[in-house]
Amino acid sequence: MIDLSVSLGRLRLKNPILVASGTFGYAKEMAGVVDFARLGGVIPKTVTRHPRAGNAPPRTFETPSGMLNAIGLDNDGIDHFIHYHLPYLRTLPTAVIANIAGESEDDFVAMAEQIGREPGLAALELNLSCPNVAGGIDFAIDPDLTGRVVQRVRAVCPLPLIAKLTPNVTDVVPVAQAAAKAGADALSLVNTFVGMAIDWKRRKPILGNVTGGLSGPAIKPLALRLVWRVARNVKVPVLGIGGIATLDDVMEFLVAGASAVQLGTVNFYDPTASVRIVDALPGGLASLGADSVREVIGTLRTG
Amino acid sequence: MTSLVHATVPVGENVRLARDTYRIRLDCPDLARAIRPGQFLMVRLPGSTDPLLGRPFALYDTILDGTGQPAGVDVVYLVVGKLTGLLKEVRASESVTVWGPLGNGFPDLPPLEQVGLVAGGIGQTPFLAHIRELLGGRGYGGRPAQQTAQRVSLFYGVRTADLAAGVDDFRAAGADVHLASDDGSVGFRGFVTQRLQQHVPRPAHLVGCGPEPMLKALAELACEWGVPCHLSLETPMACGLGVCFSCVTKVRTAAGWDYRRVCVDGPVFDVQALCW
Ligand SMILES: Cc1cc2nc3c(=O)[nH]c(=O)nc-3n(C[C@H](O)[C@H](O)[C@H](O)COP(=O)(O)OP(=O)(O)OC[C@H]3O[C@@H](n4cnc5c(N)ncnc54)[C@H](O)[C@@H]3O)c2cc1C
Ligand SMILES: Cc1cc2nc3c(=O)[nH]c(=O)nc-3n(C[C@H](O)[C@H](O)[C@H](O)COP(=O)(O)O)c2cc1C
Ligand code: FES
Repeated sequence: MIDLSVSLGRLRLKNPILVASGTFGYAKEMAGVVDFARLGGVIPKTVTRHPRAGNAPPRTFETPSGMLNAIGLDNDGIDHFIHYHLPYLRTLPTAVIANIAGESEDDFVAMAEQIGREPGLAALELNLSCPNVAGGIDFAIDPDLTGRVVQRVRAVCPLPLIAKLTPNVTDVVPVAQAAAKAGADALSLVNTFVGMAIDWKRRKPILGNVTGGLSGPAIKPLALRLVWRVARNVKVPVLGIGGIATLDDVMEFLVAGASAVQLGTVNFYDPTASVRIVDALPGGLASLGADSVREVIGTLRTG
Repeated sequence: MTSLVHATVPVGENVRLARDTYRIRLDCPDLARAIRPGQFLMVRLPGSTDPLLGRPFALYDTILDGTGQPAGVDVVYLVVGKLTGLLKEVRASESVTVWGPLGNGFPDLPPLEQVGLVAGGIGQTPFLAHIRELLGGRGYGGRPAQQTAQRVSLFYGVRTADLAAGVDDFRAAGADVHLASDDGSVGFRGFVTQRLQQHVPRPAHLVGCGPEPMLKALAELACEWGVPCHLSLETPMACGLGVCFSCVTKVRTAAGWDYRRVCVDGPVFDVQALCW
């Protein structure tokens, strides 16, 4: 019997395959598609303190083996989330991890306090890194800001905390270290890479928001390197994200040092990939002679 | 949501109907049994990440086997870019990946004298199945055939004659077809909504699908006539499932407006609900 369970700080998961925020709606949409009980966890779309209409369309554009998105955190706000989505989410037979984004430190703290009082959540992920929100601060470009938000949230919210970081920095390690030092149980990386698409004939940006975040198979090598660097340099466990679509991709992230992974864009184009990967995972581990996921995490041989 | 069909299925045939326009037949009984007119499916080419995402296509019609059971789904597509350019090269017995049925489909209508369907360009694709359904020629999604319209008139606008596809299918299904073209090479010269304006008697209900300027003109006409009208929208989609929030359109709400997902709240909307 191969042990698929993993621990990330105070968070225990039955397997390391989760679905990423913003790519799985509020889970209900996927009820006829995915057997939630098989997943390691579900992370619903980011919620903000107040309702947000989101960006003007077009909001997504396909690029070679990837896509740009600028959804702009379209959501109905935290009160609506708690009253409308959470009652369903907390019935799911898997770990549910809420994901919040604030425009200010105080937003994060207020929302974390509110969410922390709700039963039925396994953890809280802080989206410190949404690249598509005008006016909002990209907290995770600054180690001090990141550390402060994590520390203040930690003080008001009893849930295990995951800090989701942006790759759009010169070096992600200092930010990751700051989040770890401030008490994050785990780190999620990466969010999308900022990019853009242009219609040169009309001399216009294609996305309504002008720029957007790149995701999908195209970013996998970039994400893999960042996960590997952070896993080697920071003590807290890492949830690897970026272009993961197959068992091979998952195995690569585990070997690079991720303790779990999140599947994002693949949910759009291969909506049953997550459960197929969970089914294939024991075979992948067995082929390395491992009896558990833990045995392969961070086992990359260099030099 | 009822259970979704997600499968890699064999292609029965893939034939040219008109300039840049093809009909692909997908052997997928599960999907054929469940899908209703106005709903759509996502189509993706397996084994490649470029193109990466599926693309939405309306149900053109279901195909019945020798015993009258739904066995396949026809999609009619216009070659406009990456995926459709590759799709036209797919041969019979090769496979494509599909998921569906998706979206709300056309609403059930009360018994009516005449329904007017208004198509612009490739926006004609959802109407063949709808004609059959309205005239009681066939039931869809497990429902028995039941006639609700005495007459269905299809107003179909194209840029030029050789882009008109499926006209024989629409006539065979029982609709009277009124063509319009920008250059006058077939039917009325001018916009399809201008052709509709000349039609007597006025349809008791209108349904439109096509480019946004055409839909806006239709919406105005329906409003002026005081005739109920539904529009099927074609916003770009990444998932078709309601999880990416890319396909939104502005919909009226108590508080003013909000973006709503066309793939789950649509693609068919009452004109009154849209905030245009
Ligand atoms: C509910 C629904 C039902 C639909 N039903 C049908 C149907 O039945 N039949 C049908 O033919 N279509 C239908 N469509 C439209 C169909 O989904 C699109 O035509 C299809 O996605 C095109 O895919 P593609 O890869 O061939 O084109 P893409 O390569 O994705 O290009 C799509 C469009 O974007 C433009 N574009 C691409 N790249 C650029 C660029 N760099 N700059 C500027 N513009 C660019 C292209 O010219 C093209 O017009 C439907 C859409 C919806 C939402
Ligand atoms: C359309 C779209 C919407 C997203 N929305 C969110 C979001 O609301 N919150 C968040 O933390 N990440 C969001 N992300 C980022 C993903 O969770 C993930 O970090 C990123 O897409 C990289 O993984 P992938 O390559 O597997 O998609 C979004 C990504 C996409 C493509
Ligand atoms: S296409 Fe993804 S939400 Fe509609």
